[in-house]
Amino acid sequence: MAVAFAEVRVKKLVKLYGRTRALAGVSLTLPAGAVTVVEGPNGSGKSTLLHCLALLAKPTSGSIAFGTLDGRAHARQVRRHLGVLTHASMLYPDLTGRENLRFYAELHGVPTSRADELCARFEVGRFIDRAVRTYSRGQLQRVALARALVARPSLLLLDEPSTGLDTLGVQRLVEVVRAERDRGAVVVLVTHDDELSRQVADRRVLLRRGRLVFDGEGSVVAEGAAS
Amino acid sequence: MSLVRAAFVIAAKDLRIEARTREITLVTTFFAVLVVVLSSLSFYLDRNLAVRIAPGVLWVSVAFAGLLAVLRSWGREREHDAMRGLLLSPIPRGAIFFGKAIGNLLFLTVVELVLVPLVAVFFHLELDHLGTLALLLALGTFGFVAAGTLFGALGVRSNARDLSLSVVIFPLITPALLGGVVATRELFAGAPWVEIAGWVQILAAFDLVFFGAGWLLFDALLSD
Repeated sequence: MAVAFAEVRVKKLVKLYGRTRALAGVSLTLPAGAVTVVEGPNGSGKSTLLHCLALLAKPTSGSIAFGTLDGRAHARQVRRHLGVLTHASMLYPDLTGRENLRFYAELHGVPTSRADELCARFEVGRFIDRAVRTYSRGQLQRVALARALVARPSLLLLDEPSTGLDTLGVQRLVEVVRAERDRGAVVVLVTHDDELSRQVADRRVLLRRGRLVFDGEGSVVAEGAAS
Repeated sequence: MSLVRAAFVIAAKDLRIEARTREITLVTTFFAVLVVVLSSLSFYLDRNLAVRIAPGVLWVSVAFAGLLAVLRSWGREREHDAMRGLLLSPIPRGAIFFGKAIGNLLFLTVVELVLVPLVAVFFHLELDHLGTLALLLALGTFGFVAAGTLFGALGVRSNARDLSLSVVIFPLITPALLGGVVATRELFAGAPWVEIAGWVQILAAFDLVFFGAGWLLFDALLSD
């Protein structure tokens, strides 16, 4: 399936939680076919930026354009092309992993066979037909990642996706992120995992106290971030 | 995806989970049965008094069982933050409200199917007007479920969720409970339809208001 957005453009984004300024006028353009890694210390606004991009939080001011679509005016249309992985798996513990994937496939209006396709792609094994409640952290994270890909997203937002994954799982995650980028998706990754970041980043941005303080090529950011 | 289709997909998911765990129906039915049994032991003096007490016992049981059902139903959306998965889906937000409401309605219907014969036995009722009683229960349950589902969603993001729902919902459903109790009392006392019809209209209006509010306000209630 072709991607829906050529780019995602964030303009002067401000998000206040009461008196706390989580984002203080962030502007950046996220191009399709590239992985942007968002870095920064705790409380720098990384997750808030992801929440705004996922349309889960309404910006106090500023705008986000998904290709030609405005995030506020065309929220449902944009959601059709979103894939989001956060700290929580968003899976129902009493359903099996496969049932969860089928459920989300139905909600996204894609055939339920997409769930089986993802199970094969992630080589999930027999645990996929057990209740999610019985999964290990790593298994949960793998199925949660599969869930994020159900809609063949044009914008893939990943918040600490390597949490709980073993070495093989991280390697599979790297392959998935690269495959999504090569498919032409806009990929945004929030992580503290330097090794993962080094392997997939085309571009790295650094947030500090809600402001964008660095925006550069994946390979040169370390010096930029440090300074 | 249309609102109706999305609502049924969400309701089917809830029913599948319930068929597997039987958590909501078992706990709420057990609780409702306990209320009926204890009430019959505490308040029973003679047949005449029993018939006058029965409507209150029936509706109190339904209301408390309904509260438990709604709390647990939304609790499932809180685990692993599944609610966020629903909010990220490209469906009308109203579909989440209607989907959850359909599930809650069916759970509560199961409770009532056990409750009504039980109340009849313990309070010596002759269920001559079963159709009218079913209508009253259906309308009252619709209203309760609409209000409970609407405000139960608020609890998904609140730390004081159980308390806040209890505090919010009971004042809101008071008109439906009053209407249900009085209409049922009249029915058990042998009142003609014309005397009950007014209460039926009140219950129907309450249902319309809360289903309409749920449909229209759900998005706003869930926005940060």
